[in-house]
Amino acid sequence: MVRESNIIQIIGETEYARLRKIRCLLVGAGGIGSELLKDLILMNFGEISVVDLDTIDLSNLNRQFLFRQKDIKKSKSSVAVKAVEHCNNSKLQAYQGNIMDTKEFPLHWFDQFDILFNALDNLAARRYVNKISQFLKKPLIESGTAGFDGYIQPIIPGQSECFDCTSKETPKTYPVCTIRSTPSQPVHCVVWAKDFLFNQLFNDLSEGEGQEGETSKDWGSDDVDEIKRIQEESQELKELQDIVRSGDMKRVTRMLEKLFVEDIAKLLKIENLWKNGRTKPVALAKENLEGEYDETLLLSVDQVGTLEEQIAEFINSSKRLMKRLIGAEANAQGIEFDKDDEDTLRFVSSASNIRSLIFGIPVQSIFDIKKIAGNIIPAVASTNGIIAGLSSLISLRVLQLLPETKDKGVLDINMAFTSKASNISNDRYLSNPKLARPNCKCVVCSRVLRGVVKMSDDGLKEITLGGLVEELRGKYDFPEDISLMDTQDQRLLIDYDFDDLQGKTLGEMGLKEGSVLLFSDEMDEDQIRKPIELYLSMGQERLVLPDLPAEYIEGQTPVREEEEPSEISANADANDGVIILDDDLPEDNQLGDKRPLDSGDDADRKRVKIGDNDDGDDDDDNDDVIELD
Amino acid sequence: MNNENKLSSDEIALYDRQIRLWGMAAQARMRSTQVLLIGIGAIGQEIAKNIVLSGIGQLTLLDDRILTEEDLGSQFFVSKNEVSMKRLEAAGPRIADLNPRVTLHVDTDKLRAKNDEYFSKFDLIVGTELIPADASWLNDATRRLNIPLYITGSNGLSAYCFIDLIQFDSQDTKLQSQIPTKLGKVSKNRTITNIEIKEDSNNNDKKQEIITTRHIYKSFSELLKTFTFEGLHRRQIKRMSNMVPLTLALLTIPEELNNEQLTIDQLKEYTLKVCNQGGLLKDILRDESIEQMVRQRNIEFSPVAAIMGGAVAQDVINILGKKQSPLNNFIVFDGITLDMPIYEL
Ligand SMILES: [Zn+2]
Repeated sequence: MVRESNIIQIIGETEYARLRKIRCLLVGAGGIGSELLKDLILMNFGEISVVDLDTIDLSNLNRQFLFRQKDIKKSKSSVAVKAVEHCNNSKLQAYQGNIMDTKEFPLHWFDQFDILFNALDNLAARRYVNKISQFLKKPLIESGTAGFDGYIQPIIPGQSECFDCTSKETPKTYPVCTIRSTPSQPVHCVVWAKDFLFNQLFNDLSEGEGQEGETSKDWGSDDVDEIKRIQEESQELKELQDIVRSGDMKRVTRMLEKLFVEDIAKLLKIENLWKNGRTKPVALAKENLEGEYDETLLLSVDQVGTLEEQIAEFINSSKRLMKRLIGAEANAQGIEFDKDDEDTLRFVSSASNIRSLIFGIPVQSIFDIKKIAGNIIPAVASTNGIIAGLSSLISLRVLQLLPETKDKGVLDINMAFTSKASNISNDRYLSNPKLARPNCKCVVCSRVLRGVVKMSDDGLKEITLGGLVEELRGKYDFPEDISLMDTQDQRLLIDYDFDDLQGKTLGEMGLKEGSVLLFSDEMDEDQIRKPIELYLSMGQERLVLPDLPAEYIEGQTPVREEEEPSEISANADANDGVIILDDDLPEDNQLGDKRPLDSGDDADRKRVKIGDNDDGDDDDDNDDVIELD
Repeated sequence: MNNENKLSSDEIALYDRQIRLWGMAAQARMRSTQVLLIGIGAIGQEIAKNIVLSGIGQLTLLDDRILTEEDLGSQFFVSKNEVSMKRLEAAGPRIADLNPRVTLHVDTDKLRAKNDEYFSKFDLIVGTELIPADASWLNDATRRLNIPLYITGSNGLSAYCFIDLIQFDSQDTKLQSQIPTKLGKVSKNRTITNIEIKEDSNNNDKKQEIITTRHIYKSFSELLKTFTFEGLHRRQIKRMSNMVPLTLALLTIPEELNNEQLTIDQLKEYTLKVCNQGGLLKDILRDESIEQMVRQRNIEFSPVAAIMGGAVAQDVINILGKKQSPLNNFIVFDGITLDMPIYEL
């Protein structure tokens, strides 16, 4: 008996020989990634490349079992690969980098793999790898966990649903007035303390408040007085900003007075707010502000603390932050909220709790506030173990390595999500629906054709936008009215009434390896050509356009992602009550949202997302800022 | 929580992500528990990994086997140059290294050398890779001593777990729906014994129900003697994975037949008996499945071990923290369809 005897019993000699040649890409070496690496190695896959951007953090060690205390701050992918050496029989390669970096990981780099495994923690990267899998027609096993909830979804391009075929959970947002005037839950106060107060005081160093987007805000009220008060309050914050930047520690109590006495008094004057029996806030009393406070107080993280203690925490953390701002460098950059930065966390926690006390809302420990403010998703080893096990196991079916299912089609393969642990069912540990066909409305896999354009550096320098459009129109036999868009930043490059840029070369337009162009039929007809997404891949030839079939879709209706209820989204992203704002998210309605270059319409493109942070590679330090307005 | 049971700030930082799942009190409680894990093969190592990471107080590993070349294909915590050492001597140090806060004991005695006095030290026992006779013998002891027991094992692409918590009261909290939960029997082995209504602190117009459910269990030998699938939906019976009756057949087949010489016909004979006793449809049985089970009998496979080991460890951690409803009382995993039903047998 030898090491491989078990797997040979399961898949057979011939398939085992194939398995030894399979090259896997594992994206993420965090919670699921650590477990997947273990499983793939024990299964004796031929080659495994592991990509992760992150370094190891203390809070990873409860589940990312390849890492130890001594590894903290080191690269996840390389530590992971070293930690499996003792039992490894595969060719391993570790990369520390962002999978979306087209310089380090151009499209042709992905082409070397036979299968992609997503072990990610954020929506943007998941969508990106999903698109790559669609461009290259490579199978992808998508997975995710949050607490006891988890799912796996095998994706076989062209044959089964892609990651974007079902809409992902919509973000939870709060109306401005709830946050600024009428909070009723701890989370409202945390959002106020973190996004409004902390950001304005310590991070927003620009002079003068921008007025953009004021009209499009969800105020949650049409009370003119209230909206006016909120706007005035923002202006008045200038005074507090000055205090913060003055470094004059004696003026810290003035901040308390303004925020927790004067602002509350003004709020109480807007009678409409308190008409329907809503509990009125009670401003802090004078003696609260003037009393002695403990200059050395540091509440323990699981302590709730009294009002006096919260005030002391507020003053102490404000002073520490002000000291940091005095340093010239920090002053220029401001201080960003970071849940692992004690001073910022304690400031937000105490400010939020003082506000809660004023509004009669339960006070929370620093530990609890850290979760809300830092968008922390619970995570545990067992769920990751189960999900990684399912992911690696189902890869055998996707790669057609299981003799029992040799003659079964793609739509006989199962996806899976936790059922018992997610309180969905008492009589199934997992739910295991079969894969569905691609959603015919999905703009990622169905409402678009995809191909790779090969181009040389010379081509980039010489070919103009107009020239490229002519080539495209000729090759694919598109009609007169077309549009060409750079999907990276939703830039319209050319269409029937915007041709200012047609003399510019592709290079001048900033197109490069990894740029994705969208070429669309804009005729006003019932049947129009299916849009084509073209990936720019740099090579030797001046310009090679891919062969693509001529397919049609219904015209008129703008192509955009349909909001359809997802059967699995409840589990996939089961973390509710967390709000994050991620500026870097690709817009999902990219096909319906074309704007001319430099249209200056960039104002309110911020999107608030929920569930965009789970236990894939635990990148919970991404700069997600809680949304306020 | 008294001071002795309070978590240190280091512990809070290390266990942060899971404390957010089960709370500080459960995390602190886990620190004072002792678990015995018998068998440190593929599933055993997965269970050990998960519960050591979770931060339980003390874990004892009991295994007398020698590490083989074959073990290297499905067990993570061992290495090639350790072949022919005691398996536990190879895997023990790597498992201990996962979490220095957990006290790990290794014991290379035979299971049958142990007695009630030994078992009585533990709050919970997990047996893996046990032959049915040993499972029954162990279960008799845990019943005498009133200790929760999990018995788990795998056969290639499939795996199973038997659970005997004797009697267990769980508490689940859920938002009250239109139709309030009622007291009384909810299934063969579960009865709701108490419902407490609580205001939702985050949402004033919603009420929460704290539901106490009493779970009743059977011993391993009684389950094998008396199991029946009565009460299942016709559809559930029709689409039942072949792995369910096949697993039960392997557990009930006489010990002298359960070896490398086991034939397809022999296994089929016992599987038909299982169908008879359990009220299952004989025509769901496929010859390929029987052949698969004969070929893969007792074979360890890492992804399957990870899945069942994860499920068992999660339930162990769950009941040590006394949280949600535990498993009750027999689960089977089918690695081809990813089907994983839970049966109250
Ligand atoms: Zn799709």
